[in-house]
Amino acid sequence: MGSANLLVALAGQPNCGKSTVFNMLTGARQHVANYPGVTVEKKTGHFKLDETRVELVDLPGTYSLTSYSLEERVARDFILRDKPGVIVDVVDASNLKRNLYLTLQLLEMEVPTIIDLNMMDVAERRGIRVDYAGLAEYLGVPVVPTTGKKGVGGDDVKKAVAETGRLAEYRAFSIDYGALEPHIEKIADLVAEEHRMAAAYPARWLAVKLLENDAEARELVKEYHPESAALFKEVERRRVEFRESAGIPAERHVAFSRHRSCAEIAKRFVRVPTERRRNLSDLADRYVCNRFLGPVILVAILLVLYEVSIVFGGWVALKAWPLWGGIESFAADILPRADFLGDPLLRSLGVWVVKSATAILNYLPIFFLLFALIAILEDSGYMPRMAFILDRLFRRFGLHGQSTLPLILGGVYVGGCAIPGVMATKAIPDERARLATILIVPMMNCLAKVPLYLILIGAYFADQAGLAMFFIATVTLFIALPIAKLLSLTVLSKRESAPFIMEMPPYHLPTMGGVLRRAFERIWLFVKKIVTVVVAVAVVIFVLINFPGLSKERMDYYESKRHAAVTRFMKAVDKTSYKGTLVAADVTNLILFEEDLKNAKRGVTDKAAAAEINKRFEADNPVFYSVVKRKGKDGKKLNKALKKVVKVRKKLRREIRAERFESSFLGVLGHALEPVTRYAGFNWRINIALLSAFAAKENSAATLGSIYGIDGSDQSVQESMKAGETGFTALHALALMLFMALYPPCVPTSIMVRMQSNSTKWMLFSILYQTALGLALATLVFTGGVLLGLTGFQAMWAFYGLCVAATVVMALVPHRERQETVVSSSNTKNCFEGGTN
Amino acid sequence: MKKLMTLTLVLALSAFAATAFAHSPLCDCFDNGDGTVTCEGGFSDGSSASGVKMYVKDGAGKVLQEGKMNADSEFSFKKPEGGYMVLFDGGEGHTVEVNGADIVE
Repeated sequence: MGSANLLVALAGQPNCGKSTVFNMLTGARQHVANYPGVTVEKKTGHFKLDETRVELVDLPGTYSLTSYSLEERVARDFILRDKPGVIVDVVDASNLKRNLYLTLQLLEMEVPTIIDLNMMDVAERRGIRVDYAGLAEYLGVPVVPTTGKKGVGGDDVKKAVAETGRLAEYRAFSIDYGALEPHIEKIADLVAEEHRMAAAYPARWLAVKLLENDAEARELVKEYHPESAALFKEVERRRVEFRESAGIPAERHVAFSRHRSCAEIAKRFVRVPTERRRNLSDLADRYVCNRFLGPVILVAILLVLYEVSIVFGGWVALKAWPLWGGIESFAADILPRADFLGDPLLRSLGVWVVKSATAILNYLPIFFLLFALIAILEDSGYMPRMAFILDRLFRRFGLHGQSTLPLILGGVYVGGCAIPGVMATKAIPDERARLATILIVPMMNCLAKVPLYLILIGAYFADQAGLAMFFIATVTLFIALPIAKLLSLTVLSKRESAPFIMEMPPYHLPTMGGVLRRAFERIWLFVKKIVTVVVAVAVVIFVLINFPGLSKERMDYYESKRHAAVTRFMKAVDKTSYKGTLVAADVTNLILFEEDLKNAKRGVTDKAAAAEINKRFEADNPVFYSVVKRKGKDGKKLNKALKKVVKVRKKLRREIRAERFESSFLGVLGHALEPVTRYAGFNWRINIALLSAFAAKENSAATLGSIYGIDGSDQSVQESMKAGETGFTALHALALMLFMALYPPCVPTSIMVRMQSNSTKWMLFSILYQTALGLALATLVFTGGVLLGLTGFQAMWAFYGLCVAATVVMALVPHRERQETVVSSSNTKNCFEGGTN
Repeated sequence: MKKLMTLTLVLALSAFAATAFAHSPLCDCFDNGDGTVTCEGGFSDGSSASGVKMYVKDGAGKVLQEGKMNADSEFSFKKPEGGYMVLFDGGEGHTVEVNGADIVE
């Protein structure tokens, strides 16, 4: 090479210490961006090699280089299209066998590679000896031992990079594919016929990829090869032939061959002491992966996960609230002051946006605990076992073992949140299952749906509250599973489906530091992505529910009410010694003064501190203070009048809010939809409540409350709903509850869907199909229930039976077989002898 | 299939105990200085607390007064003699207790 610039890519599997190597080489000076068009982070840094300026690009950590997952595609595309001069493959020396799986694929691509044998300290601690000179000789590439964490070996890596960068020739390493070899040879010959193609990509590599039926490789061939159709036909013919003679599909044979090759190399060059820990892992797997005990342990672990994150986290969230409340009152303080009837636009918008953000920040303790617990599950090695246990089940519905976590986070049983749920789908390596999971996670029972359930159950199923809660908590899963199957058989059928390759690492005690670091990283990512989005969305929703606003006549009407209230107050003033001191223009300020005093004392429990605050306010405005604090006979008298005017103000503001909402864009839409939603039992009031809930599900309960116009009587929301909606039966309530359960994901979740699916189309699809499904099922239950003359309770269980039946039927519908390969770092087969097919 | 049923059943049973949810209940009380106390309630997500049950109890836990949050999410009561506490009862996992001694004028 010898040019002044050299592009170097850093590849490696997750947890191989790649970022420590990156920091060691670049001195942690980095630039972070996204790979073009995708949300995968691209870290770039620089270092000098004599006169050469080296640009180091950190590829996403991947186990393999197939085209199944986004990360793998990104990594592979970068290698293929940007053609880095050298690839530094970071491998975990303490876990060589697994790490070689990626290494061999890099070598097959015939790119100039050096192996960075990282985490040597860990390997040494465990008594693992790697013969790296022998390994280098065997693979034909430099092997450099490092300990990135301690900055040991960085210069050796740089030296190797410089040497490899200068090489003109490159010796390829070939894996022996055994029975597939003749086919590879023939296809490689056909590929090599096209010179442009053969010059750009290694023929043998392409041949293997084509026989693996790799989508990206086919794209490459289409791009370069004039007779791609004929080539594909030949590939297909040979794939069929191989499958018939060997008894397994070619792609599976290829994966097995690679694993066998890794195992052989590891056996030859790695000396592992007979480990007790390994034996303990095997012993533990005998129970953890047991057919009967396995699921029991799984459920127990999930319960602990739930108790700690949701129940305990909820308690922590409550304790942490003053922090967010403080942000709210701070915002309220610095924004323009409120008026008697309405607020200046800047104030109402500002308060709304801050409120929207704090409503989500309130959940942070829960998410933090959740992320920490997940990190523990991952680090301990239980996660892949959990995925394995459930894969057999989920596979029947087009899902993946790793769909478990997203569904739990989304709220398989009551109480979750779809946002982290959708976020967690990232780990699913199978494109089809990943999309299917993304599309059903929002159907789970997130925390925000619960208040509405409670209101409706309290009002209409009070006698069977427990059973009704059981119904809604579980029916969603029985709807989601058949739907997932249906989706993967239809809209998702053309998507890539990856073989289930799961590695069973030995159990490992997670470290406090590792768990905390991971939890903080994830929470930070969450805060960055969600809060910015929520703020943007809050502004849009604000416009939708506040404009066009009230007509002049209506405002005049409220203005006259205000005038009357103020006049009444002034009459009271004139009867006291305050006559002349307090004028009509002071009334609003007096009310705000009282509110400020109250807010200043919020959370104050110390008498001396309270007295201090009182003193400050008294100095500020002694006249107002004497009224608010009932000083003297006149002060007491006037305080009574003040209470009345405050009450009127609150009532008027509430009425204006409801009326403005009803005539807003969103409100008008609610009216317009009534002809359609009628069959599901929804009138326009409910439509409006549901529309506002789309902004954030928490809104629905509050909105229902405000729309049902609780008029200051001591009725609860439930009671006024019953009274306000004559003819609203339990059947209505059931339809509403179901619609709520299946209702489109809230706005922040939709944004997350957009991010994870990397497609606006899928986001729109998820919103539309869920709305359609919700409406269809609500209509089925409501109209069906009416026609059959069922009560709400009867309809509930009839529907439940229907869903369970659908689940059973869908489980039995045959599906395109996905292969399953379990790779164990351990010697026994406790975790996969249970039979996979 | 059987496993699916068993699993769901266990998960579902846990749902009974799982009515706790994450928007936090809020309740602040103020001594009006005229022998009455007013409590303001709400939820962290901005939901109204209107209709939430309120209890005023004495030191021994005996209920002295009870009522509900009004449309403005407020509840006023006569300040009892001696020690007391206020309970904001928004359902399981949604209760707030305010000690009378912490309510300042």
